Amino acid sequence: MSAPSLVQAVAKRGWLNKMLKPVSNWYINAAGYRQMGLRADDLISEENETVLAALQRLSPKESYDRIYRIRRATQLSLTHKLLPKNEWTTQEEDVPYLRPLIDQIEAEAAEKDALDTLAVVKN
Amino acid sequence: MISRSALSRGSQLALRRPAAAKTAQRGFAAAAASPAASYEPTTIAGVKVASRDDSGPTTRLAVVAKAGTRYEPLPGLTVGLEEFAFKAGTQNTNKRTALRITRESELLGGQLQAYHTREAVVLQASFLREDLPYFTELLAEVISETKYTTHEFHELVENCIHEKQAKLDSAAIALDAAHNVAFHSGLGSPLYPTVDTPTSSYLNENSVAAFANLAYNKANIAVVADGASQAGLEKWVEPFFKGVPATSSGNLNTAASKYFGGEQRVAKNGKNAIVIAFPGASLGVPHPETSVLVGLLGGVSNIKWSPGFSLLAKATAANPGAEAFAHNYAYSDAGLLAIQITGKGAAVGKVAVEAVKGLKAIAAGGVSKEDLTKAIAKAKFNLLSASEVSGTGLVHAGANLLAGGKPIQVAETLKALEGVTAEKLQAAAKKLLEGKASVSAVGDLHVLPYAEDLGLKV
Repeated sequence: MSAPSLVQAVAKRGWLNKMLKPVSNWYINAAGYRQMGLRADDLISEENETVLAALQRLSPKESYDRIYRIRRATQLSLTHKLLPKNEWTTQEEDVPYLRPLIDQIEAEAAEKDALDTLAVVKN
Repeated sequence: MISRSALSRGSQLALRRPAAAKTAQRGFAAAAASPAASYEPTTIAGVKVASRDDSGPTTRLAVVAKAGTRYEPLPGLTVGLEEFAFKAGTQNTNKRTALRITRESELLGGQLQAYHTREAVVLQASFLREDLPYFTELLAEVISETKYTTHEFHELVENCIHEKQAKLDSAAIALDAAHNVAFHSGLGSPLYPTVDTPTSSYLNENSVAAFANLAYNKANIAVVADGASQAGLEKWVEPFFKGVPATSSGNLNTAASKYFGGEQRVAKNGKNAIVIAFPGASLGVPHPETSVLVGLLGGVSNIKWSPGFSLLAKATAANPGAEAFAHNYAYSDAGLLAIQITGKGAAVGKVAVEAVKGLKAIAAGGVSKEDLTKAIAKAKFNLLSASEVSGTGLVHAGANLLAGGKPIQVAETLKALEGVTAEKLQAAAKKLLEGKASVSAVGDLHVLPYAEDLGLKV
């Protein structure tokens, strides 16, 4: 599920982070999902087992809110409109709520794989 | 073609048998007298520990927590706690996942088990002697660092509970019902909630986590080791159980038990079951008459092709299709002597009538000297095999330690069993029949008799 990413490497280096932050903000704004009331994690493709399992683990409230945001965005897309500016997703609201669950499930699978292919060394 | 020497060897063996029996008896008495047969209580770094070392190659180590169904503040929590132990999937504890726990103990050849009784939740590990440090650490980690997560509760724990509920049969429900009429709340709460028990409003990951806080603290657990050296325990229990909190803020449901008695009838498809129960012997107070009475009532024959001497075995032989056995369920402050009969159709009712008749005969003094000797021998065997072979000795030692008593002293108890006479047994049986009985019938109520019909007071 996870694509290779340089985020961690950039975040560790303060000066690089500072330099790239404006670029990142420009990109987020240009992507336009916040103008439709979505969060970044709403855009993750859910057509695979890992994400489906992660969606199962959302709390009922989070799951309901997610569906509401997606339906609202679909409606906006159909009518070729954006939300009024006061309803745009703010930077504080745009938190990763699904990504940690996906990471957890991937870690589980990776551990299972590692243990399944374990070579026992006796000394 | 049997050679001559083989034949003569057989007859030689037969000739030698009395002598062989004598040596076997001597060996048995020596084993009973040795101190290793009883659990020795100590305290290591604030944790109550009972240990017994027979220098065997394997060890059984258990954490016994005073968190059985008797103590649960809301129905179903004990079951939830039991299912969360070792089992849950991701990051079961803060240090390692359940999968890793399972695979690691597989590599070491260990077995992990979590189960509960009415008084205790038991987390048990059986392993090779030299792996004591690993499993001590594991048990401490499971009780102090397990995460009670929502998705594991829904994905794993609930499924396990539903599976076990589907396996509950008439016998288990009848025993629960008998406990219920005998003790009402506390010991009377069901050992496993049935499908129809409304637990969904009480049982969730948060309530289980809160219950785990109450259950798993140094004041509330006992570590019981069978086959581990005292030195090893002292070395490893102290560092690994450091993270377990000393006490908890909340209170468990610890009302003293009171015997009520009564009758309960539950209609159910499938097999029929009747439980006839009387106040029995508790863990703390030695009551050898009850053990001998259990031996005399017996049930399952130990000899092939013969029902044996026990009353219940004779009754079931006359009524094919039913099985019966007697058992004394001993708890820290109460006991229940139960005769359990299961089977198909009307045979169950007939065996119940026979069982009560047999009990009345004992109360009238109709026990032959020979039967008494056999019953005492059976009671001794039950005691020794329970404390040595099966896991019950482990649980009893832990439960007793938590109740503040000493673990059962095998040698002394054996001596007490020897002292049971026909008169004492008669008095004990009479006392049972004069008091109120607890009777439960589960199954086809059309054919199952009422306690009145059996001739019991309820």
